[in-house]
Amino acid sequence: MSNIFEGKNVIVQGITGAHGSFQTKAMLAAGTNIIAGTTPGKAGQKVEGVTVYDSIKDIQATNRVDITVIFVPAPYAKGAILEAITAQVPLIVCITEGIPVHDMLAINEKLKTSHSTLLGPNSPGALLPGVNKLGIIPATMSLKGSAAIVSRSGTLTYETMAGLTDKDIGQKYVIGIGGDVIHGVGYKECLELFEQDSDVEQIVLIGEIGGRDEIDAATYIKEHITKPVFAYIAGHHAPVGVQLGHAGAILGSDQESAGNKTSILAESGAKTASSITELIASVSSARR
Amino acid sequence: MKLLEYEAKHVLAESSIPVPKGAVVGDNTKVDLPLVLKSQVPTGGRGKAGGILVIESQTELQPGIDKLFTLEIKGFTPKTILAEEKLSIKKELYLSILVDRQSSSIKIIAHKNGGVEVEENTDFKSWNANDTADVLGQQLAEYYELSEQTFALQDLIQNLKTCFVKNDATLIEINPLILTTDDQLIAGDCKMTLDDVAAFRHDWTFEEKPAEANFVTIDPKGNTATIANGAGLAMATVDAAYEAGLTPANFLDIGGGANEVTLLKAFNRIVEYKNLQAIIINIFAGITRADEVAKAIVSAKKQIKNLPPLFIRLAGTNYEAASEILTKEHIVIMPNLESCLLAAKEVIHE
Repeated sequence: MSNIFEGKNVIVQGITGAHGSFQTKAMLAAGTNIIAGTTPGKAGQKVEGVTVYDSIKDIQATNRVDITVIFVPAPYAKGAILEAITAQVPLIVCITEGIPVHDMLAINEKLKTSHSTLLGPNSPGALLPGVNKLGIIPATMSLKGSAAIVSRSGTLTYETMAGLTDKDIGQKYVIGIGGDVIHGVGYKECLELFEQDSDVEQIVLIGEIGGRDEIDAATYIKEHITKPVFAYIAGHHAPVGVQLGHAGAILGSDQESAGNKTSILAESGAKTASSITELIASVSSARR
Repeated sequence: MKLLEYEAKHVLAESSIPVPKGAVVGDNTKVDLPLVLKSQVPTGGRGKAGGILVIESQTELQPGIDKLFTLEIKGFTPKTILAEEKLSIKKELYLSILVDRQSSSIKIIAHKNGGVEVEENTDFKSWNANDTADVLGQQLAEYYELSEQTFALQDLIQNLKTCFVKNDATLIEINPLILTTDDQLIAGDCKMTLDDVAAFRHDWTFEEKPAEANFVTIDPKGNTATIANGAGLAMATVDAAYEAGLTPANFLDIGGGANEVTLLKAFNRIVEYKNLQAIIINIFAGITRADEVAKAIVSAKKQIKNLPPLFIRLAGTNYEAASEILTKEHIVIMPNLESCLLAAKEVIHE
């Protein structure tokens, strides 16, 4: 995963919807270069000064598209993602929540043989302060710098980012991989990017109960990451077998618990915290 | 959404997967004796709890039905009882199909020894469901050591795969898969989970309502309620409350785009906890707008009697407007979650 997040030409799929238009405004305000948007049947309209097209293909007739940010409602999101894959858009950021698992399985099959990388779905997107805001992470609470955050949770990402900004610790990357069971980019790809990018000095990993993603991330940290990693896993007091908000946040076995993930991350060399406050304090004190 | 056995079997039958002849009690369909009565409760361990009765004669039937309708199993009493033909069993196998999150693929899992003790096995066999039903059926027949059932298993796998995708299922577990003494393969019991978010493309009318993933009771005797937005922040808020020595009663994620109405509903549910002495509100507004939360807080204070003290931390989108609304009503916003927790600790007495 080279620096696809720094792509210049950004489009918004579902730009005429309530979330699409509101967030387009915020992305433009943060300096993102949104060259066009799509909503089938609404070609020719303008949203925040951005021209609407029927399809990505129509935009590509005159422009290169580097990144698409998708706000299309769940029933139509599969079609939107497949359209972006077919159009060979290098980075697809899907904000949409509630896409059926079987749709994501079909999309994953297509992705395997494609030229595209998918971030999400059910993700707040990615923010590279001062470079690109791709999604809904509030840029006003960020600060350009050398920390990198990767997280499965939207609000915890904001919380951590704002906490670091408060302590004058800027961020190069803030990436939400999304809370769904089946998703695109994972911890591993983000960790790889952070390790390779010489601007990044500290890595912050935020996880939660359910699945094995954080356990696999721990293995990757142990084997490949030389930069300091700070980690927090949410849901230490989650009841077994009950879904907590996110589709993926369900505690299946002891292995998937916050406690187990925390100790495996600690064994892999990450500095673990038991709360967001502690996490921020530990990043901050490592800087002194 | 988890289906009850009779609902799951109905879905299987629609996809031509053999199930026992049967009917729900009260449905006017005759089931021949001997039959089996099965309590339809949304929990496991039903057999051991006495929720399955074999009925040999007509005189046992009504008392059996009455008994099951009043028998509580792990806190559940059934709304429905399933009556089924009693199968003559040669062998009990295990077969399931599920979405495997780690490999992002559909897997078929099998074991030679099915039945109630299946979870004690560790040597399950698994296949990627991408292979053709012909290949999978043959491999399954080989593994089960039932080569004479190869065709039947190929059909079964084909139908199971179709059923799984068509119904937006995330799990179909047939346990036991029964081989009868006359060599028929029949789904003896079935657990099925459907993907709630796919409801928009189905006409689902099942007995069980979709689970409310956003509101979960952790400890009904807890002294502190939590309200947060976003699953991660809600979990972290519960974690932090425990760390601070409080006992959180609930997990609540009000979600993106929550408004005054949905928030008031949440307040009304929360005040039902008997030992409640404090409410922690931790909102980092992104898509949610802080002023909507502020309005809900003001309404809750006015409308709900005996509302325990609120400890509020608000940040993010429309914070200024929210702050103005709350200040006018003399409601304090605290600078961070830690100060909320400390202040809450002050008011709680065991």
